[in-house]
Amino acid sequence: MRTRNQIGRRPIIAAGLGLGAAIGLGRYARAATPTEVRVGYFVETKPTMIAKSLDWFADAVKAKIIWREMSSGAEINTGIAAGGLDFGLAIGSSPVAAGIAQGLGYELIGMVDNIGPAEEMTVRTAANITKPSDFIGKKIATPFGSTSHFRLMGFLALNHLSQSQVTVLDLSAEQIVAAWKRGDIDAAYVWSPAKAEILADGGNVYETYKELDAAGYVIADLIVVSKSFARRYPDAVTGFLSAYGKALDLYVSDPDKAAAIVGKAAGVSTAVAKANLAEYDFVSLKDQLSAEWLGPPGQPGKFAEVLHGAAEFLVQQKSIRSAPDLAAFGKAINTTYLAKALG
Amino acid sequence: MKSWRLWHFTAASATLLFALWAAISAFGLVNSLFLPGPGLFVSSFADLLLNGYKGYSLPEHVGISLLRVALGFGTGAVAGTLLGLGMGMAPVFDAFAAPFIEFLRPLPQLAYLVLLIVWFGIGETSKVVLLFLTALPVAAIAARDGVRNVPRERIQVARALGANPVQILLHVVFPSALPEIFIGARLAVGIVYATLIAAEIIAGSNGIGWLIFDAGRFLRSDYVFVGVLLIGLMGLGLDLALRTLERWIVHWAGR
Repeated sequence: MRTRNQIGRRPIIAAGLGLGAAIGLGRYARAATPTEVRVGYFVETKPTMIAKSLDWFADAVKAKIIWREMSSGAEINTGIAAGGLDFGLAIGSSPVAAGIAQGLGYELIGMVDNIGPAEEMTVRTAANITKPSDFIGKKIATPFGSTSHFRLMGFLALNHLSQSQVTVLDLSAEQIVAAWKRGDIDAAYVWSPAKAEILADGGNVYETYKELDAAGYVIADLIVVSKSFARRYPDAVTGFLSAYGKALDLYVSDPDKAAAIVGKAAGVSTAVAKANLAEYDFVSLKDQLSAEWLGPPGQPGKFAEVLHGAAEFLVQQKSIRSAPDLAAFGKAINTTYLAKALG
Repeated sequence: MKSWRLWHFTAASATLLFALWAAISAFGLVNSLFLPGPGLFVSSFADLLLNGYKGYSLPEHVGISLLRVALGFGTGAVAGTLLGLGMGMAPVFDAFAAPFIEFLRPLPQLAYLVLLIVWFGIGETSKVVLLFLTALPVAAIAARDGVRNVPRERIQVARALGANPVQILLHVVFPSALPEIFIGARLAVGIVYATLIAAEIIAGSNGIGWLIFDAGRFLRSDYVFVGVLLIGLMGLGLDLALRTLERWIVHWAGR
């Protein structure tokens, strides 16, 4: 009985293995296009929303895209670390610096914007703040863990203001508007539409970005992809970037049309979308490849230093445990897809 | 089985869990970002004890949280109990207040977080009010049900012996409902405790709930683990304190 059974099973096992191998090979042959792509994104007034709402991303990666709205860059980090996301779209540079430092399995493949003055300190006009020492004893709110928070901490460090002299409060963008209207805070470091709202409600700009950019506290919004996804579907990664490039071209050539699409996708009026779009410096794909930013493939640009500096700052702030050397940040930048997308 | 033998099983399960934890981290099976090993845990704990976290020492974070829980739970439980006693005694008042209490009880706190900020600002008030609103309905419902479950005969006997309504409330109804009020209080402290993180993320910069939330932002899971351990131990301590109080005050309950 036993012997017969064992002999009898062999062909079945062999056939099973053969079938399995055939399915495996078949899958491998089709592997160039993913079945679905999971993208973590923010609802915001940027050209990325053009490519999203007109399905350019989906057409370019040749797959269904599952859009997951995120509330912070840190959440994208967690999502990619947990294997729940493939792309992070317009994630801030400070969470990316933290992610690279922590060895998360993703690479930086492109930029959306150089934030510049789009995120800036707003002070209550009535509080009469004109120089750094005027902030002593005041309350400043910012969403913790964001690029704005990073800039604010940089501002305090550059001006030798300690956290016992200035109260820094952790509020989300919409909570900042509420706290501002109540008069609970004297200043806020945040982005629009919250920034635009508080500026219109008795606030004025206290410019910090030029000083901070010069001191190395550059902040940007970036595109990251999980390494395992990029290894399996390199063409989809290139496609994703070219879809964004196409959206950026539309914005450059026809800002009004772009603002109308972006406004509709983000749920704001065309005028508001146009004003918000104008605040950002959307770096062209070609410029991203220059040494000024990400650099050509294999030769990481200046941005590697920015990320390295940001990571070291985050270590000082106890937000991350340790930061690797500059080379690790250069290695995490991969512009081969960007170069291919430009053709 | 005798309790000293059961204790062995508890020790065994704790040892097993610890051994598994140590083994996973020793063999590098999981990235330390997801599961910090025992060594890292101890060094991070020491680091927090020595250097504090973002401007506050560890005892300060713990103390601030306990103070918030005490204030929110204390006011909420007292107000809720009074409300519940009234609801249990007077059906008209119950009909009057019950819809609001029943509505508030299952409401997720995050749903009205922004409203609390708009109404009460970003200081301590909104945090304590949030905890108050969490404790209030739980305590109220426990007290109301406690009053309803007081045996009718007991009240009738007191009345027959010539007790006035105030005496009935103070000497018959309240003591009889006290065991259930205590059960409600222990339930409420658990829920208040769970709401602590939601309360502390309002413009937070201190408190153990905020520490866990902030450390989690950049996946500092070593600090998150320390925070979770502390918050768990604090919860056990709070429950133990209430149970001791319960045994001391309503020692007759269940006998």
